[in-house]
Amino acid sequence: MTAALSVSQLVKTWKGLFGPAQHALRGLTLSVPKGAAFGLIGPNGAGKTTFIKVLLGVVRPTSGDVTVLGGDPQDTAVRARIGYLPERMHLPAALRGRDFLRSVSTLKSLSPSDTELDRLLERVGLRTGSQRVGTFSKGMRQRLGLAAAMLGQPELLILDEPTDGIDPVGRVEVRALLLEEKKRGATILLNSHLLSETERICDRIGVLEHGQLRLEGTLDDVRRAASRWVVRFEGEVTAEDAGFTRAEAGWSYEGDVEGLNQALDTARVRGLRVIAVTPQTRDLEAVLADSLISRETN
Amino acid sequence: MRQLFRVAFDLLLEAARRKWFLGLFGAITLVLLVLGFSLQLDVVDGAIAGSKLFGSLLFDDIVSAHQVMGGLYMATAYVSFYGGAFFLAIACSDFAPELLAPGRIEHLLSLPVSRWQLLFGTYLGVVALAALGVLYGAGGLTVLLGVKTGVWNVKLLIGSGVGWVGFCALYAVMLTSNFFVRSAALSGALGVVTLILGVIASFRESIAVAMTAGFGRELFSWAMLPIPRLGTLATVSARLAASEPIEGELVGRLLAGCFIFSAALLSVAAYRFERKDF
Repeated sequence: MTAALSVSQLVKTWKGLFGPAQHALRGLTLSVPKGAAFGLIGPNGAGKTTFIKVLLGVVRPTSGDVTVLGGDPQDTAVRARIGYLPERMHLPAALRGRDFLRSVSTLKSLSPSDTELDRLLERVGLRTGSQRVGTFSKGMRQRLGLAAAMLGQPELLILDEPTDGIDPVGRVEVRALLLEEKKRGATILLNSHLLSETERICDRIGVLEHGQLRLEGTLDDVRRAASRWVVRFEGEVTAEDAGFTRAEAGWSYEGDVEGLNQALDTARVRGLRVIAVTPQTRDLEAVLADSLISRETN
Repeated sequence: MRQLFRVAFDLLLEAARRKWFLGLFGAITLVLLVLGFSLQLDVVDGAIAGSKLFGSLLFDDIVSAHQVMGGLYMATAYVSFYGGAFFLAIACSDFAPELLAPGRIEHLLSLPVSRWQLLFGTYLGVVALAALGVLYGAGGLTVLLGVKTGVWNVKLLIGSGVGWVGFCALYAVMLTSNFFVRSAALSGALGVVTLILGVIASFRESIAVAMTAGFGRELFSWAMLPIPRLGTLATVSARLAASEPIEGELVGRLLAGCFIFSAALLSVAAYRFERKDF
């Protein structure tokens, strides 16, 4: 499948004038296929925002290769096909909502009609195109930023905390919007602290920590990585000897598939009969927490 | 180019809704209205036979309309140069910091716009705003006095236009400083400091002579060399407005100096902007 974006051995080091150099990205390699909804998760300071800025050409990498939509993000023709919502959108307070969209349209070389702009504003839940941005609430600003990102139906949508400041009902609306964009064929790169939101929108996940990709794959792969399995045996048995630990619904095994099969073989040799083997998927919060804990213990 | 003009246009839109500029244009309008309603001039054969401001006599004798208008135009040119430059240095100080604000600059840079377009669009927007102020104030006064005296003279507009070039040099300093330290306060202060240095630079030869010969004098002379002679430019602008004779070569040198100074600073800003991460 063609990649919407790919980075290879990406390094970004911020050199301080007096202090030590800060390594934001340390040899990051990642590829996101076209049409995917990719969720980027990780703790604060993991390098997520720096990575996004590199993809947009706002930050230049210290070393490594970056390809976005088949080209260099420094190329304006490539950026014309991207929609971006920054983490903390700073909007010109004196402009009206529609003025702002008109301005972004011109900068994107688009010429939408007022009706089209109003329709877009309505789509993101804003019915106040003539209201000045300075009077907008945080959630309204975020919605306007989202509308600006969606202008011209971009092939790639890069969204940094898109629902920050939006109320729960609004979040549901935004989620529906993003799913519509995904259905349209747009590739979505989502950076959100709301892991449940990432889970609902994204089909691929990457866990970034200390500028490195700790885990990457489909949502199911990531949830099952370093898996836990629940095994039920026939009758009242003891399976500790085979490497299982007692769990609420039977016996559990933690490890990879290879290790599980060896444990099952050992159990069978000892006369135990397997009734069911169930993979235990975890939510992203647990995945992220495990990833960070394992990093610390290593 | 469409993008460059859009950046400039957005800046003008933003300015149009700010109290600073509403105040500026309101004040100019008020002065023009007050003069329009309270100044009475009786002009006979190019001479002011009678004049009243708020009902009080301005001149006891008959005076030449050109002479009166020359004096008024000169005063207006000086006020618009120094007052305008000071006001605009403060009022325009936060346009560049706003452009470079976190959350806005990343968004702008993610759009298919070149960095130089953002830089020059901002510069263009601010100098266009200053030009509009000059055109409105000087143009309004020219029309007002032209209607009242029947003597039409566009020298005030030309003189104010020359003064406007001085502000273009000031704003180049203000804009460039933001690519090193993003600060509206610093930007405004640098604008005012450059204005003062520009006046000092106009007297650099006479000041240098008054200094003790040696390293200090040499340093002063060299330090003042690149600074545009804004004090001289103000005088030239006022004399042009008052239709007094001016050496064309001097005007050319002053304007070229401002142009080279602005171009050099904007090149530094462009170089810095192109290499800066946000």
